[in-house]
Amino acid sequence: MKVTANQYPQEAARVLREEPHVRDSVTGATLNFDNKRRQAYAEVDAETWRHWAEGVKNHVLSNLDRYLLEAEAKLQKNGVQVHWAEDADDARRIVADIARTGQVRKVVKAKTMVSEELGINPLLEGMGVEVLETDLGEYIIQLLKQPPSHIVGPAIHLNLEQIRQLFHERFQTPLDASPDHLAAVARKLLREGFLRADMGISGGNFVVAETGTLALIENEGNIRLSTSAPRIHVALVGLEKLLPRFSDLSVFLSLTARAATGQRLGTFVSLIQGPRQPGEPDGPEEVHVVFVDNGRSSVLADPEAWETLRCLRCAACLNACPVYRQTGGHAYGYVYSGPIGAILSPGLLGLEETKPLPYASSLCGACFQACPVRIPIPKLLLTWRNRAVEEGLTPRFEAAAIKGYALAMTQPWAYRLASRAVRFLPEKALDNTVVPVLKAWTEGRAGLKPSPKSFRQMWEDGEV
Amino acid sequence: MRERILGRIHRALEHRPKTLLPEPLPAVSLPPAETLTLFTERLSGNGGEVVRLENLEAAAEWLGHFAQTFAGVAVGQTVPPVLHPKLPVLPPEEAPLGVSWALGAVAETGTVVLSSQEGRRNQLLPPAHLVFVPEARIYPTLFEALNALKPSLPSAIGLHSGPSKSADIGQIMVKGVHGPGRLVVAVISGK
Repeated sequence: MKVTANQYPQEAARVLREEPHVRDSVTGATLNFDNKRRQAYAEVDAETWRHWAEGVKNHVLSNLDRYLLEAEAKLQKNGVQVHWAEDADDARRIVADIARTGQVRKVVKAKTMVSEELGINPLLEGMGVEVLETDLGEYIIQLLKQPPSHIVGPAIHLNLEQIRQLFHERFQTPLDASPDHLAAVARKLLREGFLRADMGISGGNFVVAETGTLALIENEGNIRLSTSAPRIHVALVGLEKLLPRFSDLSVFLSLTARAATGQRLGTFVSLIQGPRQPGEPDGPEEVHVVFVDNGRSSVLADPEAWETLRCLRCAACLNACPVYRQTGGHAYGYVYSGPIGAILSPGLLGLEETKPLPYASSLCGACFQACPVRIPIPKLLLTWRNRAVEEGLTPRFEAAAIKGYALAMTQPWAYRLASRAVRFLPEKALDNTVVPVLKAWTEGRAGLKPSPKSFRQMWEDGEV
Repeated sequence: MRERILGRIHRALEHRPKTLLPEPLPAVSLPPAETLTLFTERLSGNGGEVVRLENLEAAAEWLGHFAQTFAGVAVGQTVPPVLHPKLPVLPPEEAPLGVSWALGAVAETGTVVLSSQEGRRNQLLPPAHLVFVPEARIYPTLFEALNALKPSLPSAIGLHSGPSKSADIGQIMVKGVHGPGRLVVAVISGK
């Protein structure tokens, strides 16, 4: 995927100005998700679960090489072919080889964020392979040629009217078609896809080292179908996705569902051990697991940011975030948006390409409260901000401005001087383009205007 | 590639203290009498339907009535012959009803556990899915169910906790998107 994270401030401002319905749709959807998440956490001892899950993930990450080897051996014993991809090019080459060897002409995709990261769809389409996204939301945005705007609900930035319009144009459905009607139209088209596809591509929520189990969570049934009906199944799995024991799934499956959608468990969970066995009436003949690094081992080596790798991709932090809620995910300019995107993208891609993202937060801490594996997101946002300063990636005037601010806030004489000075500025000085740092603020808003009298003055005059 | 990736991970962890693996969280179990009640409550809450039947004989009789409204059926390989509906057998992509025999069930989540040994398509393609499960195989918790499954895992397990659903169209819940829009679980008590 093309990275446009450096345009975040401009893009966020543009979305707010030009596409106000995005804020409405995203706010509605995320508040709903967040509310359900709170109820689902309240039903169990969520604090104990979160600490435990953090502990299991920390253990896996601090022994990752050992668990990867154990998982590889188990998977191979189950008849799964294991591949290793260092970067997106490697992964694309592996998928292309599997598709070519298997004479694949049609592919069904079960929602996977890693695939977006690696650019699998453009690769296959370039090879003349027909690619069909089968998650309803993913299918809708594929029709619109858009990337997902949310990790769990890829089309939450669209409202019912927009989807009605899209289906009306593509499939001649009435403009007032019910959601049931629209879903039925998509179901029919995608059903054909499942039955004709040669290959299904999925991600992976977990890989259990003990049993070589690939676990996948969903609500529609498209992932079970994509991994059951075609003769080849390829799973793209980030190499941090391991769990030690089969029984660990009981908490992790439920915790993920509770964090993501407030359910006790996803409606469908697939626990895949390998290809179709003798005596089974159906199932894939080949199952491939591709362990994807693509920057993850560098994040693991980072003395602070490694904790990001505990992430389950539940999107609870997006749903809790008052900043994400304003614009949805597209403005963040990469696959992973919201609070987790703001700390993961700099780790995977480097700060040069992503420097505005750690600033896309008010540091309110709601993301940490929501996170099922207690990733210290606010702390890591500050870590990345500090690094941006240390690496000289922030504008030079910023350091001077912060120094001035510190002076004014610690020395009464400086504060008084500054508050007077502001009131002597010409009328339009704080309006638009004069001070660059204010431009992003004033572009879509009225200019800043100091009150005629400072609070200090009002106090001295006995007015308050 | 494999060696390079593993080497990088090894170097990344060289000076990182190894943390211990926490013991599994103790699952809060239930007396058997409450297990079926909780299962019924949770699965119904998820949008599934639960029927309780006294024994295989009663199940066969109930099935005779239930199956009447369907024009054909796809039956899983492990369903006992007495529970095959007297209906034309159709391929799963054409059958209006799929019938399965579950490996087990989970009360706390309202879930049935389905094995690939009986066929995956008949669990997914028909718009209605009827699943038989013996009451003795309903585990109070997912933890207990997974531990019971572990010694003999089939190539794939499906945990189904209700009808297929999606809220991807304008946040409005739609049922039966890809998988079955109707899930009926028949719990058989005796032999």
